[in-house]
Amino acid sequence: MPDTQQSVGRRFVQNGGIVITFLVLAVVATIVAEPRFLNQLNLTNVLRNFAFLAIPSVAQMLVMTAGGFDLSLGAVVAVSSLLTATVMGWAAAAMPGMDVAITLAALGSVLGFGLIVGLVNGGLVTAFGISPFMVTLAMMSILMGGALYVTQGIPIYGVLDSFVSNVGRGRFLTLPVIMWLAVLVVLAAVILQRTTVIGRHIYAVGGDDRSARLSGVRTTRVTITAYVMASCLAGFTGFLMTARIGSGQATIGATLALETIAAAVIGGTSLRGGVGRAELVALAALFLTVIANAMNLVRVDSKFQTLVLGAVLIIALGIERLLLRRRTDG
Amino acid sequence: MAETRTRPATAWLKLLALPAAIVATLALFGYLEPRVLTTGNLRNIAVQTSYLVIFAMAQCVVILTRGFDLSLGFNVSLVSVAAAMAMVATGSATAGIAAGLGVGLLVGIANGILIGGIALNPLVTTLGTSYILLALASTISGGFPVPNLPESFTGALALARPLGLPAPIWVAGALFLILFAVLHATRFGRSLYIIGANPRAAIAAGIPTFAVLTAAYTLAALLAAVGALLLTARTGSGEPNLGGNLTLESIAAAVVGGVKLSGGEGGVGAALMGALLVTILSNGMNLVQVDGYLQNIILGLIIIASLIVSRDTGRK
Repeated sequence: MPDTQQSVGRRFVQNGGIVITFLVLAVVATIVAEPRFLNQLNLTNVLRNFAFLAIPSVAQMLVMTAGGFDLSLGAVVAVSSLLTATVMGWAAAAMPGMDVAITLAALGSVLGFGLIVGLVNGGLVTAFGISPFMVTLAMMSILMGGALYVTQGIPIYGVLDSFVSNVGRGRFLTLPVIMWLAVLVVLAAVILQRTTVIGRHIYAVGGDDRSARLSGVRTTRVTITAYVMASCLAGFTGFLMTARIGSGQATIGATLALETIAAAVIGGTSLRGGVGRAELVALAALFLTVIANAMNLVRVDSKFQTLVLGAVLIIALGIERLLLRRRTDG
Repeated sequence: MAETRTRPATAWLKLLALPAAIVATLALFGYLEPRVLTTGNLRNIAVQTSYLVIFAMAQCVVILTRGFDLSLGFNVSLVSVAAAMAMVATGSATAGIAAGLGVGLLVGIANGILIGGIALNPLVTTLGTSYILLALASTISGGFPVPNLPESFTGALALARPLGLPAPIWVAGALFLILFAVLHATRFGRSLYIIGANPRAAIAAGIPTFAVLTAAYTLAALLAAVGALLLTARTGSGEPNLGGNLTLESIAAAVVGGVKLSGGEGGVGAALMGALLVTILSNGMNLVQVDGYLQNIILGLIIIASLIVSRDTGRK
């Protein structure tokens, strides 16, 4: 039995060998090819973009770990951006000057929206046993259609200046506030996965739904919780993006669902559920952000950049398959 | 399955539900807007259905094996651009058709080897190849349409009407019959169903799973390429954005038609029914001037409704 060799490969994959190798290679290559990468302004930019990818990628990872898929994350981000701007406009009219309350009202609205979408996604998946891929694909179509129908593609203004300057452009210990928030989200997810009951149950449901149920896990509730947490995190991403852009946009997040799947897969999340670690997915998000930044710095045609993303995704999938040597899907 | 045997009444109901839905949808839009039922518009629906059914059949072939082809839309874009550029360069329609089918073949083999040969997850793999195809289509065309196609091309694939029927209907009809025969009368076709119904049994039965899956993705990409050539002839130029919505629409048509995501169930008839219903819906909504974005909402709701009705228990 080729056990020793296999377990070395397996351990390498499970401890994030792929993503760490990718990340180190990308950073070194970028610094060599383009020293401007280390420019402080550029690094700030990279860290902020990292945050915008890391939060929804952790969300995607949670759903995938529970055995699902969420293609509607990008659409939730877009709608949440519109909601943030709209609710801020209303709240500012109702309680002028109370910036903190206004901001919290907007935050509450996106989390509420995330809750509803997550309940519907998770509810449809669990109640009718419909493929998560189809449910969230349809949800994406509905939400994007709704966002564009309501706004006709026109940005919504009315975002608070203090929100933009304190959150969007704000810094804490010289690093962007948005990055710190992403770090908090990742840490919270790590704690959730390692120390809480719901975290363990998510692994159990994704790993083997039936044995989880037989050992007393309320699988329906766990699955729905995973979808709700994911949609709420996507809503939070839309909230933060609005702080950065300064207006509500229906078009942000168009390719985000795909990018989060890429980050989750590169970060070692299993497509069959039961395996996924927030810290590794965050590193994968950092890796993807670095290569996107590198391609911008060396002026790779933006149209061509998607090719690199596609190739990286397939290569990561291939390496994982090679090292894990899974038996044929069944 | 078991249900069919024990409850024939429900089975009949399920069989008739889709044609009834199609007729009802047509009647509803005909009532709202009399122009829907004119001969000209009905012919229009037939032509539009013939494009969509080709893409739905492509999707059907891989869904039968529990797969997916998310790269279909951008495959269509790349085929369209490549064929148009070949025609502009050579002035020959044959060269364009050969280039288009060649691109489709390569895309299909690539997907097939990754999914069939290396056994990668079909969803994420075709997601990856779709990025690559999108990048290629928009890079080689510079993001702009490729105009000035030879008249022999547009004439043969869009304007010609042998025996009074538009060319796309003939092509779609021929592909429908061929695929029907392939699915039901060849060993390859039966292997697709067995792999989808029970992959382990398929291996135990000695079916060369790798080869069959590779062939399935190649066949799907080739079908998509034929559809892409027909659409290119209709628009009269190579379009890098041609396939934008087609992945979603082809999956919707196949699923609404009753191709099961759990594999092994469905066929060309389902693809045709689904394509017809989706086309009638979008044609009707266009004529009663439903906002294009609102149509996305309705399409999403219909996908969910049809999945609830058919209780398609998807795999993870």
